[in-house]
This record gives sequence, C-alpha cells and structure tokens, in this order.
Amino acid sequence: MKLLAVGVDHHSSSPAIREAIAFNESKSAAALESLKTLYPNAEFVILSTCNRVEIYIAADEGTMLPTFEEIAQFLSDFHEVPAANLREHLVKYHDERVIHHLFRVAASLESVVLGEGQILGQVKEAYQIADRNRSIGAILHTLMRETIRVGKKVREATGIDQGKLSVASVAVDLARDVFDTFHDKTVLVIGAGKMGDLTLRHLADLKPGRVVVTNRDLSKAETAAARWNGVAAQFDKLYALLIDADVVVSTTASPTPIVTLEHYQRVQRARRNRLTLILDIAVPRDFDERIGDLDQVLLYHVDDLRERTLANLGRRKKAIDAGEKIIEHETATCTALLRHQRTAGTVLRRLGDYADDIRLREVERLITSCPDLTERQREAIDRFALRLQNQFLHHPRSAVRTAAETHSPEHAHSLLTALKHLFRLD
Amino acid sequence: MMIGLRVLCFAGTYALALGCDLTRFFLQTRRGWHLSVALTALGWLVQGAYLANLTIQTHHIPVTTLFESLLVLSWILTAIDLYLTLHARKPTAIGLFILPTVIAILMIAEFARSTSTWNWSQWNDRVRFWGITHGFFLLLGAAATCVAFVSGLMYMKQSNKLKHKKPPRFGVVLPSLEQSERWNRWAITIAFPLLTFGLLIGMILNVAARGEAGRPIAWTDPKILSASAMWFVFAVLIHARFRPAMRGRRVVALTMIAFAFLVFTWSITLILPSEHDGPKSRDKESRNSHSLNRLKTDVDSFAFIFRSSDDSKILVESIVQGGRS
Repeated sequence: MKLLAVGVDHHSSSPAIREAIAFNESKSAAALESLKTLYPNAEFVILSTCNRVEIYIAADEGTMLPTFEEIAQFLSDFHEVPAANLREHLVKYHDERVIHHLFRVAASLESVVLGEGQILGQVKEAYQIADRNRSIGAILHTLMRETIRVGKKVREATGIDQGKLSVASVAVDLARDVFDTFHDKTVLVIGAGKMGDLTLRHLADLKPGRVVVTNRDLSKAETAAARWNGVAAQFDKLYALLIDADVVVSTTASPTPIVTLEHYQRVQRARRNRLTLILDIAVPRDFDERIGDLDQVLLYHVDDLRERTLANLGRRKKAIDAGEKIIEHETATCTALLRHQRTAGTVLRRLGDYADDIRLREVERLITSCPDLTERQREAIDRFALRLQNQFLHHPRSAVRTAAETHSPEHAHSLLTALKHLFRLD
Repeated sequence: MMIGLRVLCFAGTYALALGCDLTRFFLQTRRGWHLSVALTALGWLVQGAYLANLTIQTHHIPVTTLFESLLVLSWILTAIDLYLTLHARKPTAIGLFILPTVIAILMIAEFARSTSTWNWSQWNDRVRFWGITHGFFLLLGAAATCVAFVSGLMYMKQSNKLKHKKPPRFGVVLPSLEQSERWNRWAITIAFPLLTFGLLIGMILNVAARGEAGRPIAWTDPKILSASAMWFVFAVLIHARFRPAMRGRRVVALTMIAFAFLVFTWSITLILPSEHDGPKSRDKESRNSHSLNRLKTDVDSFAFIFRSSDDSKILVESIVQGGRS
C-alpha cells in the first residue's frame, strides 16, 4: 500500500496561490475524472477549503503511484498556473505521514482557527465527491472513514472545539446560558456601528422574536434594522425600549454612560423584574457598572467577553497535546489496519487457491479411480467437494476479515501469521 | 436485611451514576454522561421492580409508611431526572443535582424503615382509602417540592456563575436561568394544591375518621406543626410569584426553606416522638411480630425476584417458622 498527499496550505502559500488552484465541486469532479484516466489503478480524493488544497492518492503495492512532479504538473495544467510559480509552495507527505497529516487536518489541529468545526464537514464533503465520482477504492474508503472518526474523537475527547473565540459568538453563548427560548424575546441594539451589527448577526441565529435598533441618527438605525428584519426606533425613546428588551447590545461612542443605575432601577421595576442580559460592548461603558449588581440583571462589558474568548483559546491550546497523542495512536492503528486489510486480501486469495488445488486434485483422482460414474454423479461429487471446501474455510475467512477490519492490529497480525504458517501460504 | 440489601442495590446504582456524571469534571469526554444516564435508567428499573413487588406483597400502594413513601418519592424523582436529562438539547448536568437528592432520600428511607409501624387492621376500608389518598397527595406534593428545590439549586449555581462571570466548564452544562426558573415555578404551582389537599384530607381524617378507632393526633404533634409550617412557606411562595420584587434568587431562597421544612417533616419522627406514624409499640411481643412480618415480606420479595416459586415458598415458610421459634 502506497500513499501520497500533495498540496498547498495556509503555512506554505499565500491566499492568491490557494485561490488559483482551488476546486469547487464541478472542478473536483472534472479533476478526479482526469486523474482516473491518467492513473487508472490509483485512488484519489481532493480536499479544497479556504486554507488548503490537497490531493490524496493511494495505490496497492506493485501499482504505479503518480509522483510529486506529475501531480504538480497536473495541478499546473488543470488550473493553467505556471508550474514554476506553484512548485515552491507545494508540500508533500508519504505513506504514514499522509495518514498523520489528514488526521491532524480533520481534528482541526492544522486549521487557522484551532478547533474550528467546519473542516470536518469539508473532509466529509471531499470524501462524498470522490465516492460519487468513483475515484476511490478500498484504501481511501478506509482512510477517509477513519479520518472522520478520528476527527470526531479528538473533538469529543479533548473539547478542542469547545468555547467560542470571538466576542460576538461568546455573546451568543451567554444568551443561551440565560434564556431558553428566543422567539418570545426582544433584542435591542443601541448604536448602529460595526460591532453591534456583528453581534446582531450572531444573535440572529437564535431567531429572536423582535429586533429593535436605535441610534441617534435614525437613518443609520433604519439601515441596520432592515438587514436583520428588525425595526428602527428613535433614540429619545431609549428607556421605553429598555423596558421591552430582554437582550441589550450597546455600542454607542458616548463618552459618558447613557444609562445610569437610578434610571435602570426604574426600567427594571417597569419590567416587573424580568431577567435581562446587557452586553455593553462600548468603550467607554454605556451602562453604569453598578447595574450589574441588580438582581435579575446580567451586565457584561466587552472586557468580560474578551476575557472569555482568551480563556477559551487557552483551553483549546491545552487540548492540543491530548489531541496529538490520540492522533499518534490512531495513525499507528490505521496504518496497521490498512496494511492488514491488504495482507488479509492476499492471504485469503492464496488460501482459496490452495484449497481449490487440493479439491480439484482429489476430485480428479476419485473420478479417475471410478470410471463407471455417470456425468450426473460426477457433477454431484464436484458440488459436494466445493460445498465441503467452502464450509471448512467459512470460519477462518470470516475471522480474518473481522480481525482485519477491527482496530486490533496485534490480533489481525497473529491470525494472518498463523494462517500463513499452517497452510504454507508464503 | 434482604430489602436493605436491595435498597442498597439501586441506591448504589444511582451512586455509580452520580460518580460517572462527576467524571465530567476531570475527564473531557461525554462517555461519563452516557454511562450515567444508562446506570440511572437501570437503577430506576430495578427500583420499579422492587416497588411492584412491595405492592404485591402488601396488597396496597406503597405510600402508607414513611419508608414506602420515600421509596416512591425517590423513584418519581429519578423518573423526572431521566425525562429532563433526555429531553435537554445537550448533555446537561441535571443528574448532578437530582441524584444526590435521590440518594439522600433513600438514606432517610433506610433510617425510617424501623419506625414505620402502621397497623392497618384497626381502620375500616373508608379510612384506609382516605388515608392512602392523604399519603398520595402529600407524596406528589413532596416530589414537586423536591423538583422545585433541585431546579432552585441549578438556578443558584447558574446565576452565581453568570453574575461572577466565571468561565464555563467543559462538559458540564447547566440549564439556562430561564429554564431553571420555569421548572421552579411549575413545581411550586403544582406542589401547593397537592400539599393543600393532602393536608386538608389529613386534618379531616384526624378529626373525623381517626376518632372512630382511637383518640385523634394532637394538633401540636411535631409532624403536624412542621407540615403546616411547610404549607405556610408554600403559601408565601405562591404569593411571591405574583410580586415582581420576589423573582429569581429570592423565590429560590424561599424554595430552599420550604424544602428544609419538608426534610424536617420527614425526619422529625426519627428524632421526636410523634403520634402520626402510629403509637410506638413498646412491648416486646408486638415488636417481634412486626419484625417477623417484615422478615416475611423481605424473603417473599427475594423469592419474587428469583421466580423459583415452589422452592422459595418452602424457604420463606422455613425462615419464618425459624424466626417464630
């Protein structure tokens, strides 16, 4: 079994290079078709994301595997990019390193944003495209399935994907910690700046019942509100708006707090002391700090949100070592699994040939020694011998297949060795 | 002894489930949560079989003694735990709050086993029916109170985390504040009428029905006083629900007080003399007779579980005969 991966990623190339050789679904299908024509005995998967474009190739021992130079030339021809410009950015991996690299990619250890969840979906999509275009065989089927499993395992075991890394997405997590449903909630955005818009984009995923945007310049509020199916309101009605708001996002550029403790106490009384989450992402603060001490009010400043993102990033970084350990172990297991699958196929073929030889020889000897047998009797003897052979071999065959497909390389190895010795299959 | 062993069986399973849930603090995997749910479900099924057997053996719904009532209560609470856990959007730490409560109730039940000495023969069918209804209402009210307490604890924990801006722990997800508050509110709303009806039936029984067989329980009996105090706290809680100033942590604090009264009401007969659970038999013969009956129930339960009917009947008879001699 031979494996090769050739491609570019965010470490080795600029975005311009990656864009130049990127594959969408139709391009992937066309490229896979061409590769299959050029190398009919090899298997191919193309993984193309914003941060990487990689071609994974596999072939059996004794079969021609395209070389790094050939794949580089193919990429250059396919995308009409000068080979000289491309070659210096290309990175290659061989055999076990291919498995290790692909597992790291799927586990998002190679991603720009550590622990991001999108890459696993992109790996699945690459696998599905290759499967649809029939460019993969037994080796890459196994490898891709293992990759998806390992990607999930690393996330589950280390929590590397836990905790958001942007202020806006942390705000969404907070909203989920406070409220259970959002269809009956009102989100009020004070200020129509970029930060408010970004936070609202994330909060919109929660499908709030009502979005209200208020700003000193009403036209800006109207523009921002229109983007999120919300309504614009005049800034002088701020206190009335606060009474209805369950989630408040404040992003004005006011040099002094726009909501004082005394004012908000009145608001909270009018709200009948219902729960409120205030995300004050303005610098300096828009809400008096003491408002956060009120019962049923949760006030988060931008610094609190940033602190959360840093804590989450720190936690993800801590998960790297644990993830690496899992990948090291899984790489060794997967390599053994792939080898045993190939070896098991060969051993089972030889075992079948060995049994066929004996059966045919013995049937021939019996038929020769009994010349009076009719044609029907001879056929019956043939069928009997074949059934006997298949029944004898059924359990050894299924045991070898099961061992080769499970994650127990030692067991598979010992079984295969035993079979080879017992039946002299070498 | 046999029943004690089997109470230990499902209490132990719940403890194991709790242990698995706790591993989520140290091991970054969701397996602990899955294992915890599976063990809780197993413990609940075993406890269900145990209660079914108890019902068959005693020929009445097991709500007549404190021991039986607490067993049923813990079983209902575990069912609620499983329901809430499996209906949550992601693996939440509900079991971390409910399971310790369930285990604590089972421990009180074990202590209460020896004090549960109802003598049914002195009551007629009508009194028995209303007695069971009284116990049943109070039991359901107690279950709702426990849910209010547990959801209140979850609310406090989540509120504390959010107020002090603590970073979330991986793998340990608490229900949202709104969710915990809603559970708390529902539980209080359900508990109040149940407790009210339960106590009213108890009062009427005390005045009218118990008079038929003996003197009524004094209104100053510690159990009656404690139950009345609990009802009063619930009345305040219901009133508080309509007052904006009493939302959130204050309502939760009142729920804790109500729960404390509930626990006090359960355990008071273990500490102070109370007429509620029947007159305490002091004579040796009566105690022996009661112990024998319990032994028979225990061994019958054992036989029921293992389904070897003929042999087990002989075994039961021989053990009971041995006990008598």
